[in-house]
Amino acid sequence: MTVAAGALARRDRRFGLLMTAPGLAALMLVVLFPLGFTLFTSFYDFTLVHPNHDTYVGFDNFREAWDENYLTDALWVTTKFVVASVVIEFVIGFSIALALNRVNRFKNVYYVILLAPLLMNPVVVGQMWRMLLHSELGIINYLISSVGLKPVNWLGDEHIAFWTVVLVDIWHQVSFMAILLMAGLAALPREPYEAARMDGASAIRTFVHITLPLMRPVIAVALLLRMIFAIKTFDIIFIMTKGGPGTATDLISYFIYRSAFFGLDIGRASAMSVALLVLVIALTVYLYRYMKSLA
Amino acid sequence: MAEIALRNIGKIFPPDVVAVEGVDLTIGDGEFVVLLGPSGCGKSTTLRMIAGLETASAGDIAIDGQRVNDVDPADRDLAIVFQNYALYPHMTVAQNLAFGLKLRKVPAAEIARRIDLTARMLGIEPLLKRKPRELSGGQQQRVALGRALVRQPKAFLLDEPLSNLDAKLRAAMRTELIKLHQQLGATIVHVTHDQVEAMTMGQRICIMKDGRVVQVGPPMEVYRNPVDTFVAGFLASPPMNLLDARLVGAGDPLAVELGGVRLPLAANRPGYAAYRDRAVVFGVRPEDIYEDAGPGGRATIDVKVVAVEALGPEVVLVAALPDGREIAARLGRGFSAAVGGQQRLYVDLATMHLFDTATRKAIG
Repeated sequence: MTVAAGALARRDRRFGLLMTAPGLAALMLVVLFPLGFTLFTSFYDFTLVHPNHDTYVGFDNFREAWDENYLTDALWVTTKFVVASVVIEFVIGFSIALALNRVNRFKNVYYVILLAPLLMNPVVVGQMWRMLLHSELGIINYLISSVGLKPVNWLGDEHIAFWTVVLVDIWHQVSFMAILLMAGLAALPREPYEAARMDGASAIRTFVHITLPLMRPVIAVALLLRMIFAIKTFDIIFIMTKGGPGTATDLISYFIYRSAFFGLDIGRASAMSVALLVLVIALTVYLYRYMKSLA
Repeated sequence: MAEIALRNIGKIFPPDVVAVEGVDLTIGDGEFVVLLGPSGCGKSTTLRMIAGLETASAGDIAIDGQRVNDVDPADRDLAIVFQNYALYPHMTVAQNLAFGLKLRKVPAAEIARRIDLTARMLGIEPLLKRKPRELSGGQQQRVALGRALVRQPKAFLLDEPLSNLDAKLRAAMRTELIKLHQQLGATIVHVTHDQVEAMTMGQRICIMKDGRVVQVGPPMEVYRNPVDTFVAGFLASPPMNLLDARLVGAGDPLAVELGGVRLPLAANRPGYAAYRDRAVVFGVRPEDIYEDAGPGGRATIDVKVVAVEALGPEVVLVAALPDGREIAARLGRGFSAAVGGQQRLYVDLATMHLFDTATRKAIG
């Protein structure tokens, strides 16, 4: 009996492996290989001028990258970008979710409108907003001028460009936050609210004492997910500002890209990529553990 | 404590789902009334209208003579206990108990006194510092009850509070609720679909069906004199045997003809004459069928044994009449019979019921 069951289990396992093998092979090729290559390269003096793994430099690439002022700048810009976009997206997203949670009619219409930006490719989003915000030909400046205001140099002014990029990111991503929070709100039990109503709690107290604590897991997941995505933001910057003007919008991912393909120093760019990956993995592990602790 | 009066209340959920219609019921001061009925009969909606969590589409709700239709739930001074407890998940048991009192600006010393009193009454003192997720279902249930008690409201509304408990705990909590009612003398409206709860707990039960009240009365009164086949079939388990039959005979008493068996009635009731030689629904409770002739006066029927369900304290016999229709009988625990064999049963016809086949109302 046991022998037969063992043979059956072995056969099932073999069949499972056979079925997953093509998918796993594809994943190895497009994910694991570049990852391994980057990790390997980060310990070598690998430039596009001398693209080989001849010179092992240990942790030098990491050390040099860290000592560079530009990296510190990029990290600071990235931190500002992540905090600003995630916090504002959370506030707007939660407000939308709370408002839509009360809506019963035309809910699907609101969903479609809300989801539209999220369904767009970031490159399209970047191009679209670049055209809309063009300082001379953009429709936004045209509208601003038509009411007698001075046109704004949305992407050319180093103080304004950062917030322009943040706002475009918010426009693109806020619905992700809203949908996630809305799903959380929809799943909340009705009874604690009714109990609070019987107890005589005001709307604000109900929000503070019932909604927020009950939503805590969903809020944490939404914030962490958005944070992980925001840290990796690349497309919008690439399309809209190329990190400029100056280094005003030079996010870490774009900075790494510049080091690799303009600075030609693949080794150092790999080292920074690895460090960024470690940071994102750390956040993901935290998120995973948190979600597991909820279950 | 309070008297709650429902006058012709109704509830229509948009667009046109009638959940409750024309409910008239007065729950006396200090009375324990159970709203009983199957799922979707409108009992919970009725309770929620009393609480103010649903607005009544029609009729008046009065507490102590005061119309409260437009009064906010918080100002009705009622407490509700929900089926799934609805405790505030991030608050400790003590904070859960205190929340409503704090909102009502009860002084801290008084809150502490009441929490202490309630916790002792319900035996939840060791749990006061725990969060709801650290409690078992039964413990959460006690805390939910405590949250209602600590408020000292005019009346308690219990919305299937025992449904999520296992059978043993449910029986224990049933007894505790009865004791609590005796101790407090509080007005309690208890909603349930469990007829055992209704029979054992309520001073009166109000049976509902399709949004309407079918019968109101003390449990044994409703058990003995069901107004229609729905009530007859809903109370007690196994329910009353309801069989299509004919009322026949010329004199007094008449007889019931039931699948080739003629059962002479114990006595005629005034309503029977009009049904002579007509079809009726014959109802007899399984506990009014015996395996022995007893002191006499029991009619005999010969049946074929279909199933013998030994439950421990009793045996439920499912048997087929000569025409194949099945009846259930609750017999003594010593009863045994072979499936497929013939069995003679004795029916106490003094306790039987007759119902109109069309209206399903009791005749008599």
